[in-house]
Amino acid sequence: MTAPTAAPREIPPTPTSDQEARHPGSASIIRAIVAKDTVAFRRNRFLMLITFLVIIVWGVLYQFLPTTVDETFSVGLVIEQGALPSELDISPEALESSDGTGVTVTLYADSTALEAAVDAGDEVQAGLVIPQGFAQEVATGQTPTVTMIVPAGLPAQFEALLSAAVAELGYALSDTPAPVDLATSTTIVGTDRVGDQLSLADQMRPLLLIVVLMMEIFALATLVAGEIAERTAVAVLATPASARDLIAAKMLFGTTLAFGEAVLVGILIGAFGTSPGLILIALLLGAIVVTGLGLLAGSFGRDFMDTLILGILLMIPLMIPAMAALFPGAGPDWVKFMPTYGVVDVLVGASAGTLSWAQAAIPLLALAAWGLVLGALGALTLNRRVARL
Amino acid sequence: MTQPAIDVTDLTFAYGEKMAVDGVSFSLAPGETLGLLGPNGAGKSTTIKMIIGQLRPKSGSISILGRTMPDDRDRIQAQMGVCFEEKNLYAAMSAAENLKFFGRLFGLKSIDVDGLLERVGLLDRRDDRVSSFSKGMRQRLMMARALVNTPDVLVLDEPTDGLDPVSAIAVRDLVRTEAARGAAVLLTTHDMHEADDLSDRVAFINAGRILVINTPESLKIQHGSRAVTLRRRAGTKVDEQIMSLADPETPGLVAAALGDPDLLTMHTREATLEDVFVEYAGRGLAG
Repeated sequence: MTAPTAAPREIPPTPTSDQEARHPGSASIIRAIVAKDTVAFRRNRFLMLITFLVIIVWGVLYQFLPTTVDETFSVGLVIEQGALPSELDISPEALESSDGTGVTVTLYADSTALEAAVDAGDEVQAGLVIPQGFAQEVATGQTPTVTMIVPAGLPAQFEALLSAAVAELGYALSDTPAPVDLATSTTIVGTDRVGDQLSLADQMRPLLLIVVLMMEIFALATLVAGEIAERTAVAVLATPASARDLIAAKMLFGTTLAFGEAVLVGILIGAFGTSPGLILIALLLGAIVVTGLGLLAGSFGRDFMDTLILGILLMIPLMIPAMAALFPGAGPDWVKFMPTYGVVDVLVGASAGTLSWAQAAIPLLALAAWGLVLGALGALTLNRRVARL
Repeated sequence: MTQPAIDVTDLTFAYGEKMAVDGVSFSLAPGETLGLLGPNGAGKSTTIKMIIGQLRPKSGSISILGRTMPDDRDRIQAQMGVCFEEKNLYAAMSAAENLKFFGRLFGLKSIDVDGLLERVGLLDRRDDRVSSFSKGMRQRLMMARALVNTPDVLVLDEPTDGLDPVSAIAVRDLVRTEAARGAAVLLTTHDMHEADDLSDRVAFINAGRILVINTPESLKIQHGSRAVTLRRRAGTKVDEQIMSLADPETPGLVAAALGDPDLLTMHTREATLEDVFVEYAGRGLAG
């Protein structure tokens, strides 16, 4: 019969030395968790799909975006028989600007041909029909009617430009000076981009990079939510790994993933041509912001669908600054207070080469502050969630 | 004198107003297996969570291997192996990858993955992802994971819950081997047969309190009746005779019965742990 209290077997004394009870060190633990998360990420088909889709689709899409801007305004002209004096040189070369930029002129035989050309939109953007007897009527003080042919949607300023050109022609023919003759000088606010307009590809670059960063909210949130739902975090915390190690590893993994992917896409779309240092810093701080948001979404999500919905709900408002950047001046003022505004602001300015380090300081500081706040919030939320497991 | 591997004194914990653990005390020597036995909600898992550092006690003290939990949590956990009730393994990783990862968390540069997997009968599934494992295979891998750091203290929360008999036997063999190696094993279960089979001592816990701690044999003898039941064929019926071991005539009658061709079975009438628990708690273990 066994004794009421167990007699311990002959065993070695309880190990208590520091050597035997050694803690492996946070750096080693964090490295192990990051390596494990990398494996988990690689084996998650959904995450791999969205990651490669973003990289490939964005890379391919960018190749098809126009990389040049046509700054010339092409005008079609019908000069009816006897509309202008015969001695007047009405060749396109004579009518176009001397430096070959600004306006191109194409002559058409009649208004029907001109209308067809304007409608097609390939050769000319708008047209004028100078009627028969135009010069004579002007000279005798009458008011001839010049027909302007414009496509739907032509900006109003171009119509005004054509009207002014016709008026100028009238003054010249009637030998009457224009009502006002002013010498003008122009002050350009910001960089003068005449002849160097940003192409659609240039304008889209910041948006593409922001989307890449945003997508990583899903990746991190999915991994964090999985760790909580499967309660593997509990198993990790039963080892010498602390909650602080776990959270630090998640933040490191999330930031590295988002930053790495954004840099990769940035290289594919040639985003580092101008101010690469500024762009890299903006992407790094942006990656910290989305990591904080990923931790938040992952901590609140109970399952994959929860995490997906939370991720989308976070992504939509954060995309607003990037959308607003496509239409300068269109965004409301509150957009400036969005966490992603700093990334967009710096990326747009740095991509256009119009932003100095001094000018970038304030948006970068704001971005860093958002990164700090959201990173801390995400870490605290995850810490609370893990403690309640 | 060997110091206890686990020494718990007057431990309490409450979930809101509800006391989950109310003044629990016990100690466990190195190489000893203590079965914490009680129904669901008795306070077993909460006690375990405090011992492994997952919950901070409201009051009381926990000393493990001479160190205080949770103050010296990291160092204690370096020498502790835990097998959870839930199968919290990384399903997208293989069996070997799971073990290697946890080995790295313990700061071990290399571990004998194949040896561990062989001990739990999973060597042939070494590189298969855990997502393809059955419940029994996952549980065996959980046991292997708990042994990654060759722990001095092994905490097993319902280690054979829901396992098929073959897997359950494999897990119990491992527990015996680890205890024989010198590890202190704290085992929670509501399976009285498992507790009886594995434990040097059992502690009955109910409503957050320990009702009794003793060896299974002592409890069964103390609370059972010292008697023998003989069952004999009697024509087309079976005749049952109960004889008290306190009766001086019983040994002679038992010896005579052994030569009786009509004797069908002979049983002692010791109590089961379930009987003992009911006697202490006024309720069964299943509830």
